[in-house]
Amino acid sequence: MSAETAAPHSAGIVRPGIGWALLGSELSVLFRRLRTWAMLIALAAVPILIAVAVKLSSRPTTPGRGPLFLDRITQNGLFVAVTALVVCVPLFLPLTVGVVAGDTIAGEASLGTLRYLLLAPAGRIRLLLVKYAGAVAFCFAATATVAASGALAGVVLFPVGPVTLLSGDTISVGESALRSLLIAAYITVSLLGLSAIGLLISTFTDVPVGAMAATIVLSVVSQVLDNLPQLEWLHPWLFSHHWLGFADLLRQPISWTSFADNGLLQAGYIAVCGALAYAKFSNKDVLS
Amino acid sequence: MWWLVAVARTKQRWLPAVLITLVVAMAVLFGSVQASATVSLPPRTADEILAMIARTEVRALSGTVEQTAELGLPEVPATGAGVAPGSASAMELLTGSHTARVYLDGPFKARLQLLDRLAERDVVVNGGDAWFYNSADNSATHLTAPVPSSAEVPSFAGPRESLPPTPSPDMSARDVPTPEAMASRFLAAIDDTTEVSVGESSSVAGRSAYRVSLHPRSTETLVDSVTIDVDSETGLPLGVEVRAKGQSEPAYSLAFTELHLSTPDAALFEFAPPPGATVMEKALPAKPVPTMPTPEGSPATSQPRPSVTGQGWDSIIALPAGSAPPELTSNPQFAQTMQPVPGGRALTTSLVSVLILDDGRIYAGLVPLERLQSAAAAQ
Repeated sequence: MSAETAAPHSAGIVRPGIGWALLGSELSVLFRRLRTWAMLIALAAVPILIAVAVKLSSRPTTPGRGPLFLDRITQNGLFVAVTALVVCVPLFLPLTVGVVAGDTIAGEASLGTLRYLLLAPAGRIRLLLVKYAGAVAFCFAATATVAASGALAGVVLFPVGPVTLLSGDTISVGESALRSLLIAAYITVSLLGLSAIGLLISTFTDVPVGAMAATIVLSVVSQVLDNLPQLEWLHPWLFSHHWLGFADLLRQPISWTSFADNGLLQAGYIAVCGALAYAKFSNKDVLS
Repeated sequence: MWWLVAVARTKQRWLPAVLITLVVAMAVLFGSVQASATVSLPPRTADEILAMIARTEVRALSGTVEQTAELGLPEVPATGAGVAPGSASAMELLTGSHTARVYLDGPFKARLQLLDRLAERDVVVNGGDAWFYNSADNSATHLTAPVPSSAEVPSFAGPRESLPPTPSPDMSARDVPTPEAMASRFLAAIDDTTEVSVGESSSVAGRSAYRVSLHPRSTETLVDSVTIDVDSETGLPLGVEVRAKGQSEPAYSLAFTELHLSTPDAALFEFAPPPGATVMEKALPAKPVPTMPTPEGSPATSQPRPSVTGQGWDSIIALPAGSAPPELTSNPQFAQTMQPVPGGRALTTSLVSVLILDDGRIYAGLVPLERLQSAAAAQ
């Protein structure tokens, strides 16, 4: 029997409050976990490692080799954040998001706390939404951590000045901060589809590690498929297809096409995976 | 009967999921059907449409063009994720698809942005100044030349000339590879050897367009047909598609995916090399000589004069001995892409054949390789 049908008649007035309270408690549990902090610190270390390595190496980096903008870090510290995001997007960010998204339902089930969450007159759909909101918050926190730590490391270790865009035009420091925020927003949106997939897988199992591993493996498989020219017809439907499209925000004028395409694609994944997750979760026998 | 109720309830719960999935699938299908929908336009004859192209007065535009080439060339390995693409090679531009943004304002102001993955190559033409910028290696080349009078278009201009990766000395706003520039080259070649017909009208970049098809009457050429989509309002060519014989996919297509007929921001045509970029300055002779782009270092004295044999689609362009610079023929990448043939090396694609003989003679044309070899043997 689901919690929805069991809810008392007067619950309609109480529910909104409970929804926000549930979200608050979910966020505080998520961000008070040692594991969450360990992942954020690991992500923050990536740009610092890049910046220190470039600072210590005596040889100048050859243009055109290594990740994007690596050769320009020494001229302008603000490039550290972009370089770090390029490095993190294919593996590190999906890894951490997969851990959080795969843990959403399965983690509660394995700890035996899921039934207590459902005892509150919150309803399963509300619980799913709150769990997904928590994963989304982590997506943003993870991306912002990389960007902020990169900007900080760059400012400390290297000179700061006008930023050169991919088009060869230069923009001021202020506008570059704005574009960094846009890039962080783009990458957060990019990870929403993966979070929805993680949430869906999480409703199918009581073993959180299995859901995490499956989510991370899917993100890698999607990127491998995206690099096979034989599967060109499939590429626009892969959730990782636009992940590196944030480079379009570094052109002059900004090309918004990939931002819109990416948003639409991720919305499709959220709709389908969210609906399937709701169907599975509302049919699930919660035994633990 | 309790299990029947349970099954019914289970099904009911899956219903929204199935419905939402269906709605998404429908939206996807509807979107792709709408994109390829045909439009109804008042009928026009081929001559009227060709006259529309000739009369077009669009001189300022900003848009996105997409080029797709399926020439049967070996695919250049895609660069890995997060790795900046290496130096541009001409071969890379002739495989797969590329997207570029084009900004035009009058005949002497143009900007082309070739949008690579995590990189960009820019061409900015403003009067007598031309800048080439490559973000992958942060290098800029500055060409200065007097404002070209009437642009001299080379006699042979196949798809090879589009999206030039290296600075070609005859750069002006007219040479920016737009569908219009491509179409004008094919239209200039219309003569008795070409059959012109009107196809079904279509929608290109959200604009309704007439479609003209050019069919070579000759059986010798590799070209099966050339179709040009012409904007029904302005007469601007919106897309060009070249089909090769015996190939279902178009061998080459260049079309707008987005188009605005407004004057672009003037700041787009002002270019200053970014700090830290390696800048190369090049001055051009007062009168630009239309030649094939030759790599640097080739002696200036050997400016070969091309000669054209044959007629229409069968014509073969021939460059005399010593045209192929030794730097090119000794290049290992060159040796990899060109197959060895008796007396030299050859490049065969579904559309164009190129024959480079050991003595430096070059033959090229939209014909099979055998025709080039017989033309070379005849001289």
